[in-house]
Amino acid sequence: MTSEAPAPRDSILEVEGVFKHFGGINAVNGATLDVGRGSITGLIGPNGAGKTTLFNLITGFIRPDRGRIVYDGESIFRHRPHRIASRGMVRTFQITKALSAMSVLDNMMLAGPDQPGERLPSLVMRPGRARTREKEVHEEALELLDTFGLAQKGDDYAGTLSGGQRKLLELARALMMQPRTVLLDEPMAGVNPTLGRRLLAHMQQLREERGTTFLFIEHDMEAVMNHSDRVIVMAQGEVIADGPPAEVRRDQRVIDAYLGDPGVAA
Amino acid sequence: MLVYAVSFEAVLGLEFWIGVAVLAGTYGIFALGLQLNVGFTGILNFGQAGFMALGAYAMGILVADVGWSFWLALPVATLIAMAAGVFIGLPSLRLRADYFAIVTIAFAETIRYTAQNARELTGGNQGLLGFDNEWAEISIAMQDALGNVGLGEYFLLPLAIVTWILFGVLVIVLRRLTRSPWGRVLRAIREDEDAAAALGKNTLSYKLQSLAIAAALGAIAGYLLALNLSFINPFQFEPLLTFIGYAVLVLGGLASYVGVAVGAVVLWTLLEATRSLDLPLAAEQIAAVRFMLVGLALILLMAFRPQGALGKREEMVLGDQ
Repeated sequence: MTSEAPAPRDSILEVEGVFKHFGGINAVNGATLDVGRGSITGLIGPNGAGKTTLFNLITGFIRPDRGRIVYDGESIFRHRPHRIASRGMVRTFQITKALSAMSVLDNMMLAGPDQPGERLPSLVMRPGRARTREKEVHEEALELLDTFGLAQKGDDYAGTLSGGQRKLLELARALMMQPRTVLLDEPMAGVNPTLGRRLLAHMQQLREERGTTFLFIEHDMEAVMNHSDRVIVMAQGEVIADGPPAEVRRDQRVIDAYLGDPGVAA
Repeated sequence: MLVYAVSFEAVLGLEFWIGVAVLAGTYGIFALGLQLNVGFTGILNFGQAGFMALGAYAMGILVADVGWSFWLALPVATLIAMAAGVFIGLPSLRLRADYFAIVTIAFAETIRYTAQNARELTGGNQGLLGFDNEWAEISIAMQDALGNVGLGEYFLLPLAIVTWILFGVLVIVLRRLTRSPWGRVLRAIREDEDAAAALGKNTLSYKLQSLAIAAALGAIAGYLLALNLSFINPFQFEPLLTFIGYAVLVLGGLASYVGVAVGAVVLWTLLEATRSLDLPLAAEQIAAVRFMLVGLALILLMAFRPQGALGKREEMVLGDQ
């Protein structure tokens, strides 16, 4: 990629020349990409391309060696995860992190933003405000659970949900935060096709209704090609292609990167 | 056979049970702090004996050496213990759970060795005396009042009553805290710290708060122990105590405050009843037999009721996923 004038697109997330080395391995090797506001962007690449590591670098779970990461006009480079999440960029994990020994409803309510009852001083001094907010959060949680077909599961321990239901719970929980940007790490993996379609439909709907931006890692090529506005391809820690799905699909570098993993890029 | 070996007069007397009540209540409050850390936040605090020592010595020094009122010394000593919790936790709570556990043990031993060697301040191995005059007045007044109902002869009864009232109040406060949105964040951290961070929670701050509150509870247990024995001595704060606290948690069940009460009473009944074991053995052998019996009780519990008296089996099984 040559240096050009700033992209005309309105970007919400810009990543520039980010590096991360683990021992001798360059897991992320100068990755550069940007994500348009309100877009649905797919992030693909062969196993070991550095996709998940890049997610971890963007969301603060791993400290990048160097580079530049800007979210909504402000640097979030090396910020801690909770600060990045609080700015409205929320992620899910490849291996779901359902809080197993908590109820599904507690999982959801945990993510409700601006709960004064989460701070000890205001919890003790003004318990009424915490209770009021708790009622609102409870309502929102029930609504979202209903949307995701988990309404009957509210009182169950999250650990009793199936793999697919956990993926849904994790997405629903992320949405409780009313994020402007959601990063999904393989949302479809291990999810049955019906639930998977529902998940994709939610994504589209949220983008249309609230203008939420999505960046998602996915190995299901059909899902990526049919549901993304743009596709970014990584290989060996670098971004090797970036464009509309139809274009990326024909890109020779992408085809080469996937050689040896032929079933996927077809 | 053991049944015959225990002398029943000792075990059945009210005096015995009052002694058990004071010890169980004191180490129950001690273990409430561990419960908050381990059962509700998922942090392995192995230094609770250190916070207990710090609280007890801070109170003792402020009263006996500096000349403060006992009542002023209590809140200040509690704040000192809490500050120590933050001070220890700030660098070490970023570490993985097991490294944090090692740091807390080291902290507790540092406090104990300091107490042993800073003789001018702490009295060293001789211990610290003369901090409990204000309590003694209250205790005697309570004992007089109890005399009206025929219970005036029990010297430790006032302390037992105060200890268990305190225990009850603390359980009510802790339950309200852990059932609040604040407590929900703690439980989320226990389940998966990364998930909590991904949902915008400053996990380090919450872990520090949990540790500071546990330190305060340890300090309160320290005051009660000091009042019970009327002196403060480094040997009262061996690391073993922290593990007795953990035995209380295992017996009572994780994530249950009432379970702590059950565990503490069961454990101290066992420990104190076996004290009067009448076996043809040397004293130190009998002391070892006491802990063997406690160990046996724990093994039986693990076999038949692994979640403890009041723990939730689901939370234990699901928590490992």
